[in-house]
Amino acid sequence: MNGRYSRQVRVAGIGEAGQAALGSSRVLIVGIGALGTHAADALARAGVGRLWLCDRDVVDRSNLQRQVLFTEADADAATPKAVAAAQRLAAVNREIEIVPHVADCSAAFLDALPERPQLVLDGTDNFATRYLLNDWCARAGIPWLYAGAVGTEGAAMVVMPAGPCLRCLWPEPPQAGDVGTCETAGILAPAIAAVTAFQVAESLKLLCGRDAEVTRGVFTCDVWRGSYQVVATASAPAPECPVCNRTAFPALVAGAPSAVTLCGRDAVQVDPPRRTPIDLDRLAASLAHAVQDLVRTPHLLRFAADGVRFSVFPGGRALLFGVQDPLRARALYDRWIGAC
Amino acid sequence: MLYLDHAATSFPKPAAVTAAVLRWYHELGVSPGRGDSQRTTEVTRLVEQTRQGLGRRLGLPGTRVAFTSGATESLNLFLRGFLRPGDRVLTTAFEHSSVARPLQALQRERQLALQILPSGTGGSLPVAAVQAALATFAPRLFVFTHASNVTGAVFDAAAFCAAARAAGTTTLLDVSQTAGWFDLQVGADAFAGSAHKALLGPPGLGFLAVREGVPVVGQKQGGTGSSRALAEHPAAWPTAFEAGTPNTPAILGLHAALHELDDAGMPTRRARAQAAIDALAAALAADPRVVLLQPPSGPRTPVLSFVRHDLDPAEIGAILDQADIHVRTGHHCAPWVHAWLGTEAGGTVRISPGADVTAADILAVSAALVD
Repeated sequence: MNGRYSRQVRVAGIGEAGQAALGSSRVLIVGIGALGTHAADALARAGVGRLWLCDRDVVDRSNLQRQVLFTEADADAATPKAVAAAQRLAAVNREIEIVPHVADCSAAFLDALPERPQLVLDGTDNFATRYLLNDWCARAGIPWLYAGAVGTEGAAMVVMPAGPCLRCLWPEPPQAGDVGTCETAGILAPAIAAVTAFQVAESLKLLCGRDAEVTRGVFTCDVWRGSYQVVATASAPAPECPVCNRTAFPALVAGAPSAVTLCGRDAVQVDPPRRTPIDLDRLAASLAHAVQDLVRTPHLLRFAADGVRFSVFPGGRALLFGVQDPLRARALYDRWIGAC
Repeated sequence: MLYLDHAATSFPKPAAVTAAVLRWYHELGVSPGRGDSQRTTEVTRLVEQTRQGLGRRLGLPGTRVAFTSGATESLNLFLRGFLRPGDRVLTTAFEHSSVARPLQALQRERQLALQILPSGTGGSLPVAAVQAALATFAPRLFVFTHASNVTGAVFDAAAFCAAARAAGTTTLLDVSQTAGWFDLQVGADAFAGSAHKALLGPPGLGFLAVREGVPVVGQKQGGTGSSRALAEHPAAWPTAFEAGTPNTPAILGLHAALHELDDAGMPTRRARAQAAIDALAAALAADPRVVLLQPPSGPRTPVLSFVRHDLDPAEIGAILDQADIHVRTGHHCAPWVHAWLGTEAGGTVRISPGADVTAADILAVSAALVD
């Protein structure tokens, strides 16, 4: 037996039945950067029948160090990440359906999908979208897989519809400047490989109907120190978690941050839906070594990054000069300023 | 909230205005000239009184005042209904997009020859420059704004209109920025304006008023509530420029606003707003990074534009918004003037209060910008 999936079918947990289940499954990956390309590559090769790839950004040269599936030609042409990944994977496995979505992952986007995915994988770089996935998947009754990596460390977790969910662990997203980002703390490619290995293995179990074998707890690793472990979490949802109690889904009502191109200007204003104050001093400290022209005035914080000049205000709003596309402005906001 | 964007639209409206609008929704509900009920008679009477009220302020009979959806529609209707292929048109660098864009469209469609009078020193428009352009260019139409919506400079419309009349040039005056603040009886051949700025009426309503004898042709055909049997739209004023169901609640709102705004009180209202502007200008000027974009002398609407060397106008807008002060930043839909002001990149911050503002209120602007 030398079929495409022959080696995988021999794994006890998969078998012919599992392979058939994979072939008829639908998986959404949100964020096709480092995490998303690793996961999409693995799931496409594993024979997931329908793979939906969602990303609003384009390929940049600084992505090539860790974001597999992309080439220098993609970076030169600034090809949308979802499109570049779908093209590459179509050459890897033409037996499956791969659909790119060049879009902002909002509640409206998720609601408008032609069919419900069976599983959602987190490949994002921001907590706003993770909390959206958390709340939307809980309401839809779909499991999702959290994953994140910064520096040499990573973490991943399976979130089942019955909980515990991301909000049970952390009721609110961390504040901008509180957590490192790939831009401020850097990122080592093996940290991505480690967390996506966990994420993909757990996905295969879920898609093959092996729910009982799913790992409980939070997988964490530091590939530099060589530590890999699963930290146990409570087995039941937090009693006060609104999502697990199905009393409220805050991320679904919070709305997306608005991004408006200023009339006649090469500038976009990004305004978070809830005006959560930002500690500009802390944000300045976290950005200090990653951005240029950092200036803190009593009223605002200014810096330049990715060829764009940012002015961030204490209320959470930001003006981005040198960009006209609101979608790109939101991606830049999430990348440099963080959760909103 | 401190609302300082009256040059865009006035807020809040007088209680009498919102009451008049609601009265139409709650009690009247009919359109003028449509039907024979008592209510129709009442509404028709109020609408005609509103026309007369506007006509009185413009120095024209009420029958020469047509209601439109706003100054933009009024300007488009006149320009399209008056200009012929190859016409020469004189205008100014201070125009709003509602003049600039239709003129540029007509320049392509009808091969107009267009001359734009540049700004004189400090954002002025000297009468001599207008006279010279009228003499050398001999335009068929001179279309100009009564006041700059960016600097507040009020131009000498009476002198411009007299010069144009002597040169045989028709004048179309945009009074959007001055109606409610200044006397409009300046002798223009045609006036375009909106109800929702300093006239304190509702949005969605404007007017086009044209002196008898000016050859302007209506651009819309439709129902009028009269002359049903005619196959053609009536050519008589004001019906020639009104087709379809009018915005009656807004007209009744403007009726109430005109009643509130007695002309005798206009100088007092203007002086109060101007005193506030002057106090703010003085406070802002204390900061060496601030550049005020004010006309050096002459009459002004209560509008103050400024920039600051160290901040983008959009940044200033965001800082003021965090202090719950609503102003306008950017280019203010005035495409040509920024080349003369040196503010092409980011435009300006524009402060435009209403007549109820106090100097103490408005100083919140300079206070919010202290660092």
